[in-house]
Amino acid sequence: MSKPLQVKVFRFNPESDVAPRFDDFEVPVFDNMAVLDVVIYIQNYLDRSLSFRFSCRIGMCGSCAMYVNGRARLACRTQVSSLKTRDITIMPLPNFPIIRDLVVDMEPFFDKWKKIKPYYIPKREIDAPVTVQPESNEREFIDDMLDCISCGCCYSACSMVATNKDYLGPAALNRAYTLIADKRDAIRVERLKAVDRSYGVWRCHTQFNCAEVCPKNIVPTRSIQRLKRRCVLKKFGIFK
Amino acid sequence: MHAWTWVLQRISAVILIIALGLHIGFLHFSNTGEPLNYGEVVARLKTPVLIVFDILLLTFGLYHALYGLYSVFLDFDSGKKERVIVLGLFVVVGLGIVGFGIFGLLYTARSL
Repeated sequence: MSKPLQVKVFRFNPESDVAPRFDDFEVPVFDNMAVLDVVIYIQNYLDRSLSFRFSCRIGMCGSCAMYVNGRARLACRTQVSSLKTRDITIMPLPNFPIIRDLVVDMEPFFDKWKKIKPYYIPKREIDAPVTVQPESNEREFIDDMLDCISCGCCYSACSMVATNKDYLGPAALNRAYTLIADKRDAIRVERLKAVDRSYGVWRCHTQFNCAEVCPKNIVPTRSIQRLKRRCVLKKFGIFK
Repeated sequence: MHAWTWVLQRISAVILIIALGLHIGFLHFSNTGEPLNYGEVVARLKTPVLIVFDILLLTFGLYHALYGLYSVFLDFDSGKKERVIVLGLFVVVGLGIVGFGIFGLLYTARSL
């Protein structure tokens, strides 16, 4: 049998603890073990009070994002073997308020989504579905960006979010781009105004931290750069 | 405003890459030999094209640097009042340095 994992887990209950701490656990390894299996094992057999969030287990819901060995990852899609070490440190996502242990409060994240109106609003005059030509590069690009599962990994990795609580963040801006780039959307200009603010697109310094950690391989930085370009076009009166 | 200032910083970056290369080129390769000939240096400092070139280099270099610093300032939570004060400070410092630089270049060209 292979050597067990040495797991350090961040623990903190803001209601009862004075300060956070790390608890050490020894966890046996099995084939195809994911980090989510590690925390489930700890909760089932070692410490039932450990709190964490998960749902689908297949990388669809985005609820099990954690900070594992210095990087935001989906616990369900991160194989223990891919970490290349027996020492694992698991923490809650940075840049979020902690509810308890590994569970973070996603409210600030989704508050920023609300600011860009993350839902499609059709133009009234369009009654039938609009044909999007398969060769349209823009359309393909939007397809890539639509894979976002709002796990918050990009938000937690963004150093601009870390220093500024008002910055909309990569996920909301990426979502805004997918709607602004869709010519069928009725409030594209209004949306663009919502992101054309100091704490909208202009805070992004193209560091690509968001793209580095995205479990869906989305590059929000690219979406943000395209939004900046559209903001400039709007100033010239070209974007309509 | 952000769109314009952002575009201008990109433009200034391109200008700086070209202008700095030319500036270094003028300084190091326009001399006929070593040690430097005083007459050549004076002639260069009195050449109108090079004076205009140096003024543009100073202006765009300062704009690029100060806009970068202001962006770093904006990255941190700050109130509107603080933002206006810092922006005003940067504008005054920038205009002051550009003004002093232009005065220095023109004064030198005239007095040599």
